[in-house]
Amino acid sequence: MFDASRENDLVRALLASCCEQVLETMFFSSPLDPTEPPLSTGQARVHSRLAFRGRPAGAFEVDADPQVSRHLAASFLGLAEADVSPQQVIDVLGEFANMACGSALSSLARVEYFHLDPPQTAAVDCFTPSIEGVRRAFVLEGGTLGVCLRVEFDPE
Amino acid sequence: MSLNILIVDDSPVMRSFVRRVMQLSGLDVNQYLEAANGAEALDVAASQPIDAVFTDINMPIMDGEEFVRRLRQQPAFNHTPVIVISTDATANRIENMIALGASGYIQKPFGPEQLRNETERVLNLNNGGACV
Repeated sequence: MFDASRENDLVRALLASCCEQVLETMFFSSPLDPTEPPLSTGQARVHSRLAFRGRPAGAFEVDADPQVSRHLAASFLGLAEADVSPQQVIDVLGEFANMACGSALSSLARVEYFHLDPPQTAAVDCFTPSIEGVRRAFVLEGGTLGVCLRVEFDPE
Repeated sequence: MSLNILIVDDSPVMRSFVRRVMQLSGLDVNQYLEAANGAEALDVAASQPIDAVFTDINMPIMDGEEFVRRLRQQPAFNHTPVIVISTDATANRIENMIALGASGYIQKPFGPEQLRNETERVLNLNNGGACV
């Protein structure tokens, strides 16, 4: 029998492990504190969101402190933070969204196929979460990074 | 063997990352060539010597599936190693890309070790098992 609560717990654990793996492998960064920080609603953030289609369908979003976004972009590109352009900050956070979402979906046992739409990324002065789903957050150098995944196995 | 590498991805930062990881991996690269989609990649391949191709799947204008299909239709590229780099590691996707002619598959996230291992594996296959 399908147990939605148990599946949410699995997605939550999977989201954490996939995001940590992406951060460590491609951004050469690790979460600094195992304690999960509070929601970043109302704060200045760099925010990326993408939808995915297939079985399942759904959406993924990531939000990060501007300092975290710059630090991640510098690590990803192998540049000094001062040499990273605003566009590169935006593009790299979009890549993070793409990779973290794709990695999580590829690890879900019930996934048959999916197609990720291009991420929509922007810097915002007052962040408001735009999707409902399973949330996780991490403390990184320079601030916090939050992610949210909504998976619809049987969209109407 | 010093390699001419073609990196195909619509994201400039992802192309930069592949170049960076390639350098960190210690592979001997002579030249990095880049294209933002499959159509551009076919043009580059027609005008430059290519030893191996690394391609994304989801790209505008011409995606990775169509690119690999068209590249393999050209006799000059029948045996050129083509490694797909993608976030999508579902069995359906991997089987489809291999059936189209991809030589290898790297799932994001990946680092220098995975890139080197997969590159050496497909180059060894291409050389009949001889060391790179």
